[in-house]
Amino acid sequence: MTTLDSLATQALALSTGALLVTAALLVWRRSLAASARVLAVQGASLALLVGAIALEEREVELGVVALVVLALKGVVIPAVVARGVRVSGVQREDAPRLNPTAGLVAATGLTTLAYLVSEPISAAIAGRGVVASGPGAFAVPAGLTLVLVGLLLVVTRRRALSQLVGFLVLDNGIAAVAFLTAAGVPFVVELGVSLDVLLVALILAVLSGRLHAVIGAVTVDELDELRD
Amino acid sequence: MSAVGAQVVVAVVQVVVLVLAAPVVVGVTREVRARAEGRAGGRVGQPWRDLVKWWRKRPLQATGTSVVSRIAPVLLLSSSLVVVALVPLVTAAPTVVPADLLVVVSVLLVGTVAIALLGLDAGSAFGGMGSSRHMMIAALVEPTVLMAVYALSVPVGSSSLSAIVDARRDDPASIASPAGVLAVVALVVVVLAETGRLPVDNPSTHLELTMVHEAMLLEASGRDLASLELGGWLRLSALLGLVGNLVLPWGVAGGTGPGELALGAVALLAKLGLLAAVLGAAEVGVAKLRLFRVPELLAGSFVLAFLAVTASALVA
Amino acid sequence: MTPLWVQAAAALLAVLLAVVAPARLRGRLAGAACAVTAGAGVWGGAQAMAGGAGVLVVGTALPGVSMTFAPDRLGGLFIILAGGVGVVASVYGIGYAAWAARTTWAGFAVLLLGMQLVPAAGDVLGFLLPWELMAGGSAVLVLAEHRTRPSARPAGVWYTVMTHLSLVTILGGFALLVVATGGQDFATLATADPAASGAAFVLLTLGFAAKAGLVPLHVWLPRAHPEAPSHASAAMSAAMVKMGLYGLLLVTVRLLPGGPAWWAWTLIGLGAVSAVYGILQAGVASDLKRLLAYSTTENLGLMVLALGVALLLRPAAPVASATALLACLLLAVSHAAFKTTLFLGAGSVLHATGERDLDRLGGLVHTMPWTATTFAIGALGAAALPLTGGFVAEWVLLQALVRGGETVDRTVTVATPLAIGVVALTAGLALLTFVKAFGIGFLARPRTPGTQRAHRAPVSMRAGMVAAAAAVVALGVAPGPVAVALARAVDVPVTSTGVAGIALPGAGPVLDPALVAALGLGLTVPVVAAVLVAARRAPRVVEVPAWGCGAVRDDPRVQYTATSYAEPLLRVFDDALQPERDVEVTHIAESRYLAARVAYRQELSDVVETRLYRPVLRAVDVVADRVRRVHNGSVSRYLTFAFGALVAVLVVVAR
Repeated sequence: MTTLDSLATQALALSTGALLVTAALLVWRRSLAASARVLAVQGASLALLVGAIALEEREVELGVVALVVLALKGVVIPAVVARGVRVSGVQREDAPRLNPTAGLVAATGLTTLAYLVSEPISAAIAGRGVVASGPGAFAVPAGLTLVLVGLLLVVTRRRALSQLVGFLVLDNGIAAVAFLTAAGVPFVVELGVSLDVLLVALILAVLSGRLHAVIGAVTVDELDELRD
Repeated sequence: MSAVGAQVVVAVVQVVVLVLAAPVVVGVTREVRARAEGRAGGRVGQPWRDLVKWWRKRPLQATGTSVVSRIAPVLLLSSSLVVVALVPLVTAAPTVVPADLLVVVSVLLVGTVAIALLGLDAGSAFGGMGSSRHMMIAALVEPTVLMAVYALSVPVGSSSLSAIVDARRDDPASIASPAGVLAVVALVVVVLAETGRLPVDNPSTHLELTMVHEAMLLEASGRDLASLELGGWLRLSALLGLVGNLVLPWGVAGGTGPGELALGAVALLAKLGLLAAVLGAAEVGVAKLRLFRVPELLAGSFVLAFLAVTASALVA
Repeated sequence: MTPLWVQAAAALLAVLLAVVAPARLRGRLAGAACAVTAGAGVWGGAQAMAGGAGVLVVGTALPGVSMTFAPDRLGGLFIILAGGVGVVASVYGIGYAAWAARTTWAGFAVLLLGMQLVPAAGDVLGFLLPWELMAGGSAVLVLAEHRTRPSARPAGVWYTVMTHLSLVTILGGFALLVVATGGQDFATLATADPAASGAAFVLLTLGFAAKAGLVPLHVWLPRAHPEAPSHASAAMSAAMVKMGLYGLLLVTVRLLPGGPAWWAWTLIGLGAVSAVYGILQAGVASDLKRLLAYSTTENLGLMVLALGVALLLRPAAPVASATALLACLLLAVSHAAFKTTLFLGAGSVLHATGERDLDRLGGLVHTMPWTATTFAIGALGAAALPLTGGFVAEWVLLQALVRGGETVDRTVTVATPLAIGVVALTAGLALLTFVKAFGIGFLARPRTPGTQRAHRAPVSMRAGMVAAAAAVVALGVAPGPVAVALARAVDVPVTSTGVAGIALPGAGPVLDPALVAALGLGLTVPVVAAVLVAARRAPRVVEVPAWGCGAVRDDPRVQYTATSYAEPLLRVFDDALQPERDVEVTHIAESRYLAARVAYRQELSDVVETRLYRPVLRAVDVVADRVRRVHNGSVSRYLTFAFGALVAVLVVVAR
């Protein structure tokens, strides 16, 4: 069964690479529609990561989780975001607090940071099959990078929808780290969290649509005006 | 055959092949692009005809230009020729002058500087504008270039191009690894920026205000223009050939025997033709970026190269 | 130890000649004496590098207190550096400062002597006394032209204050080490435990970083270097700031080797910030000497970065660490060569046109061919292009980083790519900066009438520039022997291969620039031949107006200036440089939709100065104001203070 194992290794390497690249792309691009598409790719990569772990651990249940992740994070949530973009009519994040160049440089720094601080986590999962060495050790920092980049997006973006994108990246990162460190969260927990996230996405998408309808803008800064 | 003799043979073969092929590479790019846009286009050999035409014409000399205007075309052309002779295009055999990637990059910079000074020498506003933009892009490309170089060098433990190409041929899995792919993608962005292709610069523009590369050549004419254009095309072809050899390291000769060299030359021409066609086709769908969004593109490719480095440090 | 005595005697003679010689002969006599001083320095340095310098103990008026001079190989290298720059600058100064004031030449001689004695020191006193000679001499030089240029005065104040603060911290650092080890000669200090010497390291680094012009302690540099006479700027920029680097090397390599990792990180951080910030400021500067001064900050930053990398890699990758240390020294030597060339070139431009603002220069390649050629060579060196010393040094540094990346240590695998990014960005921006400096200053058409009347430099100035430029090229084409000598100074096994190439330690990569040059020459010859053949058939038509896409205005004012050249860069790095922009629109009286006049003003200041120093200075001002209330002019009150202080000291001593 070494071919299966090497397949799992390849898939793990590919998916972590894709996670990182999509995170960089999300910082880079300002178009919200493009962000939704990239988010779909990221969700699919996460599903691939889960699938790789399932293959490596030979766990059918985890395989099912991979399919659920693919459906939710790869299809449904990006679709909700894309719809929100269409409804609100806001096509671009036009005035982020950090320009994309600086954002990308910051993302580089965050990757470095994630890589440095995740050493103990990588050490803790050592000795567990493919995850322990090679790409697996790299996947943990990648997940942590996603968490940090997600936070960066939430902090630096002004549009409600792009903040939502940041939040989703953050969630993807948490999920990636969780799968790698706990050999998969129990199925029910993952399902519950994913549905929660879906709910948040729905609420925010609807909210930003309503915001646009009511005050003609979906910049979160405008909410300052709402206080008494 | 002595080592020096082998070096001379390699240099001569690569220079001859590339000088013959470079105008055709540009011709193929233009032709593919024209066809894809529904135009008839010129012939593939048209750049060659242009070169011969320019070479016969007498160059005009603007008032107040200095010796720099006469040296710069020669300098650009010979720096491109040095790059062509150094980069393992036809053969990856170790040579007397090592094909050190850092040396190659800095020889390219000699050409960059020569052309930037040429743009300033005539004292026209457009030349200065082109030169200023050109140098800004060159300055910001530099981190990406060296990061990509680093990403390619670290797995091999050497910045020697022949070693890098050899290693990729011996271990094809490393080409498809995330680190390998990211490094090559970053390198492609660099190549586009260094050679003034879309989306960084539009080589076929006629609008002076958007020009970068072309603006610096506005005052050049006759054989000066021929040297400058050929130098630029050689740069493009050498870098495309390098990308080709990194992505498809097969067919590159391992030694310096005549048979190997012939085979290597054929393989190189095939790769160049393929890449030229891909480049032409890709340029149809791309618009030129605003000048002040170019740093974003370069920062993006820097991040890719950086990720390639961190990835290669771990996955290797 | 003879060279040392010769140096001291020649410097004394130079000071004497500067004071007593008639103004007509002052430049020649004092300049010659200064050149002898520096030449003796090179001789002494060579002796030290060969390992036979010996020890010299100089007594002082106080019993039991003496200074020791015992240069080792590393010190010898820096003595040669200071001496070499000194010879060239002195010769140049004979023409450049022929009519300079007495103090200028006296200060220059003192500066040269100080710079050559600092690396020769064998104990703390022998280090600090020359250090003060150096600081005093250079302060005089910064103020030399205060009569003609009012901006020299604030520059002098900044320089004096910073240099004294640096002395205070260095003194404090050495004092801590002396207390810990119980002796003041370097051999005793070297017995200190690095792990327990953190405070000393911080103090010494602060002091040396201020002298080396590292950010954020660089503020004196872009003010002081432009104000000093150009041969003195060359000596200050190419040699004096290197004494800061020597100090850092002394502390981290000779006295306290094996310091903890945070020392290395401190140096890497200091170096990286200085390199990027320095070159950014140089890139947008339009005053030629200010540009060169900021570029000095950048280069010192790179050297300190290399030193930091060497310290960081030492445990994990000793070979790469040795390579990085070699890179640090190569950077120092090549910087000395090209920065001397550039400052001397800038001096010639200033001498001939009275201008150092690039926005007002242009076309000098026609009127000053010697200066233009040597400045171009220096600029190529500063831009680290092949066949110059700058390229060799940068290549070695990058090779060290590439080889350092092979370790498994996580912090190292992160540090090396970040360092590469910094080095690369610096190199790219340096390219832009020096294309701008040469292209705007020397090419195209003169932008002001004064520039048109430029004249050639006198022979002595040309000799100085040519010698410095020759050093740049020699280092670039035949770096092998130099690298071997430098490597021996820090015990790194480097060999020379091929024609005159470098083979890095541990079967590392090889760079033989002479071969690359031969290849380039071999390929250029046919091109040139083809051009010449074509030129016989169709010669050049001379003199047509520049086309400029049909531009009819033939006014030099339509040309790009240094400011406009750097505008894209300024916009890209807007957040880091924070220029002040002001657009003023005057509308015509009838309608506010039509503008009668638009005025645009852009001002660039040093962000570190405005953001960091101004608040501190204001606070100091406030405190000083409070304290001033105590000084009410009454003599008896002052006597009371003195009496109180005396009693307080006695109480402390008696306790």
